[in-house]
Amino acid sequence: MPEVIRVLLAKPTHDGHDRGVRYIARKFRDAGFEVIFTTFLVADEVVRMALEEDVDVIGISSSSHGHMPVFEDLFAGLRAHGLDDMLVIGGGVISAKDQSVLQEWGVSAIFGPGSGADDAVGHVRENVRRKS
Amino acid sequence: MFDKDIIARAERDERDWRQRYDRIVERFGEAAPKRAKGPSTRSGLPLKSAYFPSDLDDIDYRRIGAPGGYPYTRGNLAAQYQMMNWANQPVIGFGLPEDTRARMDALSQQGMTGYFGQNFYNLLYDLVSHEGLDPDDPAARGRVGQCGMAVYSVADMARLFDGLDLAKINVVHITDYQVVPALAQYIAYGRRRGVPAEALRGNTMNYYHQSAFCGMSAFPPEQGHKLAVALIAYCARHMPQWNTTNFVGYDLEETGGNAVQEAGMMLAYGIELVRSCIEAGVAPDLALSRFGFQIAQGNDFFEEIAKIRALRQIWATTMQERFGVSDPRAMHVRIHTHTAGATLTAEQPLVNLIRTTLQAFGAALSGVQAMEVAAYDEAYAIPTEEAATLTLRIQQVIQEETNITSVSDPLAGSYFMEKLTDQMARAATDLAEEIERMGGYIAAQRQGWIRTQIENSAEQWRDQVDSGESRLVGVNCYQSDDHREPDLFTVDERVERIAIERIRAHRQERDAGKFEAAMAEFRAAVGLFAEQPMAGVGDDRLMEAAIAAAEADATTGEMMAAMKAALGWDAPYNFAA
Repeated sequence: MPEVIRVLLAKPTHDGHDRGVRYIARKFRDAGFEVIFTTFLVADEVVRMALEEDVDVIGISSSSHGHMPVFEDLFAGLRAHGLDDMLVIGGGVISAKDQSVLQEWGVSAIFGPGSGADDAVGHVRENVRRKS
Repeated sequence: MFDKDIIARAERDERDWRQRYDRIVERFGEAAPKRAKGPSTRSGLPLKSAYFPSDLDDIDYRRIGAPGGYPYTRGNLAAQYQMMNWANQPVIGFGLPEDTRARMDALSQQGMTGYFGQNFYNLLYDLVSHEGLDPDDPAARGRVGQCGMAVYSVADMARLFDGLDLAKINVVHITDYQVVPALAQYIAYGRRRGVPAEALRGNTMNYYHQSAFCGMSAFPPEQGHKLAVALIAYCARHMPQWNTTNFVGYDLEETGGNAVQEAGMMLAYGIELVRSCIEAGVAPDLALSRFGFQIAQGNDFFEEIAKIRALRQIWATTMQERFGVSDPRAMHVRIHTHTAGATLTAEQPLVNLIRTTLQAFGAALSGVQAMEVAAYDEAYAIPTEEAATLTLRIQQVIQEETNITSVSDPLAGSYFMEKLTDQMARAATDLAEEIERMGGYIAAQRQGWIRTQIENSAEQWRDQVDSGESRLVGVNCYQSDDHREPDLFTVDERVERIAIERIRAHRQERDAGKFEAAMAEFRAAVGLFAEQPMAGVGDDRLMEAAIAAAEADATTGEMMAAMKAALGWDAPYNFAA
């Protein structure tokens, strides 16, 4: 596990629902993670920032649909840059049907409405990959 | 408010009551819940466990008054719902414009009417439009017609409104910051139909002030504020029936703010906006009488009612005392209630019907002008038609079956309600004054202060839910093992493809010369606007250029691209100096 876990939290710029992701950013900081928060139009921006900031974890928040193309492009971009070991988590309002597809694609966990911050912190600590 | 004898008697009663009450609490010892010992509202206003006449001792009766009398604590008009119910105004918007139109027609048939029985449509644009994009932009993928309707041009306006009498219907255009292109397209569409702007009725959001607390990308605060004033000035001259600006306290509560913050921050922005209108040459009476309020109705039942009564009072007194307005309409807080979407739970979604019924009931007791009741499945998706119809039925049951519409401001005179209204009015006024001392709302926004306050409240709420201190049925108590989702509404996959085909054909088919000329003028107007001081924005040039561009079939994405380039556009967090 890296000494200090670096997390990139990203929300589509179109989506006004930032209450959850801004809250979890605070809780991740309280837990000792280094948190970079950003908004984006397309997933490539997230991949680029993940590279620049050398993060261990990417969290995508979505509460207004449109998340499937985002995750699809995100995983393609991560693979293209050799970032296959990135821990990717999701949050917001994502239907059960989409959640099962996303987990097949490699999203490690999705923290929807009603999830506690402690669960998300614990999940990141347990699942973040050791950097080679 | 009471004579000395009654107060003396009431003080004895209260002492007796207090002794009996304390004995009960003592008997429970450690087991007594927090609400028994130190009760407070969600905003943190202290409560007592029972109220007495002496609680009203320091309240000036003139701040309560009569329904329809200054300072309007008890309602804007002498008659509340006796002549006319509040308007049932569900928010509609999904898919292609014709999909939204079908839902508009279906709900009209189910009794969705506005004031005086007029057809009233509360129409929400999609996130692609909100971001100022067209549907063929790469960033639009997966979002076209989601969370709103795919409307980007005058041609789409025609698909939405053809066959409706524009001079008779009321249309609320729920945009975010693409309000200039959207209104310009609606005006241009009206002209094509032979209906002048003067005859159009409806509302624009014009709520750039929400970028102080909401997460979407936005124009810089000062430019957004100038855009708001420019639209007010244009409508003051050319659109006498148009309600220009929506004070969006609702979103402030949705992002985590509490009732005091909602009322206080809206008052602070009201002061800022009227001051700027005066600078731009718009008389306060004229500007204020065309403002509306979208106010949340959340879960703290009495506090939310007190919030509305207090907001009416402090708005009227502030606008009169500061700006000398005299027209009652300029002192009224016209409220469109939204039951609080943030209180809905994904767990046990049908329980949301109970929450929204209580919220709608509270809003009705507060005497609001219109309501949107959230649908029980809204924590997941766009409401199904069944869920949307139930939101109407909730209002209709309250209106038709409970008899509460016979009496105006039925909670007036309750020791508790009057005390809480007074506490709310004082706390919200204090907050507005604190913001004024910081240099006003836009300055406080620039400092990131407003967002921090709201995020602190959001965190506090969530911590209380996680710790169990605030109870949320189905979330931290009375959970169920049944995690099945309701049958959800989905937007047809063809919507995105068709919207893209349409916008591309639209660009091909329009008169290229006319379009280029109109866009060149629009870009010039926006460029000038960017440099203009507040005193100059009332010259109508921006709106007139926008309408000409819309008439030349400019799309929302094209017009917004010009505005973003000239005015700036960024994630709102990045504006904090």
